[in-house]
Amino acid sequence: MAAPRPTGRSRPTLLLLVAAALTLLTLQFRGFTPLDSFQQGMRDLLDPVRSVSEGAARPVRSAWLGVFDYDDLRDRTERLEKELARMRGRQLSSEADRELLMRLMGEVGIDYTTLDTVVVRILGTPPGNFSSHTIEVDKGLDDGLSEGMAVVTGAGLVGRLEVVDRSRSIVRLATHPAFRVGVRLVGSQDEGLARGAGASGHLVIDAGIRLDVEVAVGEVVVTSGGRSRFPADIPVGRVLDPDEGADQDREILVEPAASLEHLSFLNVVLDPRRDDAGPLERG
Amino acid sequence: MTGRLRVVAVLLTAMTVQVTVLEELRIDGVSVELLLLVSVLAGFHGGPDRGALVAFCAGLLHDSITATPMGLHALVYAPLAVATSHLEIRLARSTRLILAAGLAVAMAVGVFTTMLAGGLFGLHEVEVASLARTAVVASLMSVPVAVPTSRAVRWAVTRGLPVDVDVRGSGVEPRG
Repeated sequence: MAAPRPTGRSRPTLLLLVAAALTLLTLQFRGFTPLDSFQQGMRDLLDPVRSVSEGAARPVRSAWLGVFDYDDLRDRTERLEKELARMRGRQLSSEADRELLMRLMGEVGIDYTTLDTVVVRILGTPPGNFSSHTIEVDKGLDDGLSEGMAVVTGAGLVGRLEVVDRSRSIVRLATHPAFRVGVRLVGSQDEGLARGAGASGHLVIDAGIRLDVEVAVGEVVVTSGGRSRFPADIPVGRVLDPDEGADQDREILVEPAASLEHLSFLNVVLDPRRDDAGPLERG
Repeated sequence: MTGRLRVVAVLLTAMTVQVTVLEELRIDGVSVELLLLVSVLAGFHGGPDRGALVAFCAGLLHDSITATPMGLHALVYAPLAVATSHLEIRLARSTRLILAAGLAVAMAVGVFTTMLAGGLFGLHEVEVASLARTAVVASLMSVPVAVPTSRAVRWAVTRGLPVDVDVRGSGVEPRG
């Protein structure tokens, strides 16, 4: 080493720093507000710089995708063209389908399409390598968003707002292992608690559904509402595996209704009931 | 510029570069952990005491920008800086290749341990294979940016230090 190198007694310093880190972690998990405010302030401070950087990088990223992901883009375009053709074919029957859907939703009391929402654009993954099952969107406190709000698409529940800064937010997807949501099986009207199943891309109802309840494959699952942080009757998904052979702990596998791939825009539900979140959904 | 100001300047610059340029340069969804790199190099150049302090501050900044619980990165970075400072003594006469390999290993250990700690706190699922892949990619991506970062960190943590003569030994012993 060319430069002089300081020496020192590291053990007391290290112990002090580790203790300080553990104290901060404890305070954060106990909801010590100044720490959240400090973190949010730092991110808000960097937000203009990030916006400029993203704007400057966009042409480069587009060129990179055009050169190295050309096949992927072509496949996606072909898929969208097929989808468009299929939708044109269905256009004639769509009105009838819509009437039927509205009637069915009315019969089971589902009216989630009437909720007030804010449209947000997906920016990508949040900074760092801790971004599995989370995405960043382009609106925040300034647009009336706050932590815990439900995030949906036309197909159903996507997740909830986990971190909300002034002009950006982080969405925890429904597949995140720490995601919890109160759900209701539309067929049996039984209510339970679902959690994200992580990498499998599913949800698992692992509490609240009795062993003797008959659950059909394909049965629709919606949010239960009540004391839940989410408004009632938002479609969550369909039952993939009812786990009928379970002896003690029943785990019903649910396929999410909303596809989380190739999304560009989402809706954040502005619902005042989120403040009355049930304790099991927190965290 | 005093030593503390130099450290603050390097940390703030690293944080800004982390959330701007390096966030755009992802390979397989993995980005460079520049603040971890600064922590490792602070231990390497600055010794255990100063390295641990710089690493602790770098960890707190990292927690702020990634919206992870405050103290999570600091909990890993500070011990890692101390461990790297001990490694520096063993690698004092090593070639650049061995130093680069040592740096990559330290980075991989840092990323893996941080993500493991995050998993224990419920931030994400703990899949060892996935964590290992992320750690390896992030550490390899760090090597190209290590040279300029190393110069900046060395400038921040060692410039202006007085040099003592070790009267008990035969060499020159610097003092922090």
